[in-house]
Amino acid sequence: MTPNRHGSAVIEYPSNLEIVTTRQFDAPVGLVFDVLTNPDHVIHWFAPFEDTMTVCEIDLRVGGSYHMVFVTSDGAECSFRGTYLEIEQPSRIVSTWLFEGWPDAEAVETVELEEVDGVTTARMNLAFRDQTGRDHMTRTDGQEDSWDKMEDYLLSLTREGRPG
Amino acid sequence: MFNALADGHRRGILDALLAGERAVGELVDDLSISQPQVSKHLRVLSEVGLVACRAQGRHRLYRLKPEQLRPLRDWVSSYEPAINARLDRMDDYLIQLQREGDDSDA
Repeated sequence: MTPNRHGSAVIEYPSNLEIVTTRQFDAPVGLVFDVLTNPDHVIHWFAPFEDTMTVCEIDLRVGGSYHMVFVTSDGAECSFRGTYLEIEQPSRIVSTWLFEGWPDAEAVETVELEEVDGVTTARMNLAFRDQTGRDHMTRTDGQEDSWDKMEDYLLSLTREGRPG
Repeated sequence: MFNALADGHRRGILDALLAGERAVGELVDDLSISQPQVSKHLRVLSEVGLVACRAQGRHRLYRLKPEQLRPLRDWVSSYEPAINARLDRMDDYLIQLQREGDDSDA
């Protein structure tokens, strides 16, 4: 029996507004990309098993949007939506990410996939950003600029040794 | 918290407070915005606990409370089990798909 990789995701916080998750899969990169982006596949793994997936729409093109909704066993609705900003099959997907349970918390998610010897490493960077970035949703430079400013700013506030 | 930080003027106020306590009048000079605007932004920042103030004579002095940003990180990290569980489901599904692929090849 092959040992599985359950619980092996490495979750890191490069800054207060950024989550980087790295996880390996024993599958070729093309299949991993397909399972991440094809709704016929996503519906099989996105929601917890005891929950019911009620919406799973993916329009995989730059400017296209996705929308996923599942209903938990206690009746709460979890809704995720966003717009694709960059797609490079099968190695890279950049999209906006909005979980409707997290007010104000809009983010840009960058997923990078790389296969080495049949093992695909997925690196997922979820970067929360501010209202200024949201206004530049279609312009990558505006987003990154805004995000960089926010990150520098938060780091400056939380750096040890600051007065206050 | 995100909303409080989302405004450029409010970040400007926090930046000015990094240097130390400031009276409202000094913030008005630092930021070149009106006193009612500065007061409004200070109220938003006080509500989320990012700034505190004390009275000194006729002035109210505002100061930064950066430790209030830490709960953000704690809040996000509470989602770690859910992140892991989702990736485990995706892993199981990938294994199942490949197993089915092998079967149909045979």
